[in-house]
Amino acid sequence: MFKELDPLLHSQLRLAVMSILISVEEADFVYLREKTEATAGNLSVQIDKLNEAGYITVEKSFVGKKPRTTCRITTEGYKAFEEYVEALKSYIAP
Amino acid sequence: MEDIKINEKESIELIARMIKNTQNQFEENLGTPFLVWGYGTTLLSFLIWWLFQLTGNYNWQFLWFILPTVGITGSYLSNRNHPKRVKSYIDRVVDYIWLVFGSSGFIMSCISMFIWSIPILFIILLLMGMGTTLTGLVIKHKVVTICGALGTLSSLCCLFTPGLNQYIPFGLAFIIMMIIPGHVLNRAAVKQKIM
Repeated sequence: MFKELDPLLHSQLRLAVMSILISVEEADFVYLREKTEATAGNLSVQIDKLNEAGYITVEKSFVGKKPRTTCRITTEGYKAFEEYVEALKSYIAP
Repeated sequence: MEDIKINEKESIELIARMIKNTQNQFEENLGTPFLVWGYGTTLLSFLIWWLFQLTGNYNWQFLWFILPTVGITGSYLSNRNHPKRVKSYIDRVVDYIWLVFGSSGFIMSCISMFIWSIPILFIILLLMGMGTTLTGLVIKHKVVTICGALGTLSSLCCLFTPGLNQYIPFGLAFIIMMIIPGHVLNRAAVKQKIM
């Protein structure tokens, strides 16, 4: 029996962002852009979607005069990611 | 990478690739705190030793209290100029290691200066050597681990060297234990960036 995959995570860029954030405590926008090789505009839109869903928190600050956006995964995000991986198993398992 | 649907197999591969990409990353200025504290301690220990040879005045030892100011200011400026783009659980563990060993060293130094005469240089080398060794083990870096272990072992030299001459092995140990790992870590970060 196949489990339903969370449509919010079943997208290349959003899943990449979540996979990075699951393995670190926090990461800034530049780091995420570098690792995902996405465009700034596209990444920004996907981060907003994850933030609106409550999967990540986004903190905007300044380092000197430069703006900085830091993302962290939330407990809800962890749970959703865990459930997504469990659901994936049902597709992969023989 | 874009906002496109992927199949289940691609999902698994993507998760594995992204997680792998975040492992064993050396941040750009990871070695800088080692360099700030290493150069600060080495220069100060040689300076105090030289001033004592020149004047015979033990009060030059109070110059040690410059070190926390230099170290904390240097680390702050380094963090401000090169803010960490990513913070991992390993970073947090390394921060805690140095919080514990650094504050223990400071407290022991104050006790040694004002309350009770203890072999402080031996104790400081032991603590900082253990801190460096643990850092090396946590970040899985052989050179840092070995340099830390050598620093820990060299603490014994301070026990067997008489008087303020202890400052010589003390300063030399900091070159091995902090300056070399600091440069090695910064070079590893630059190399990783190029690759």
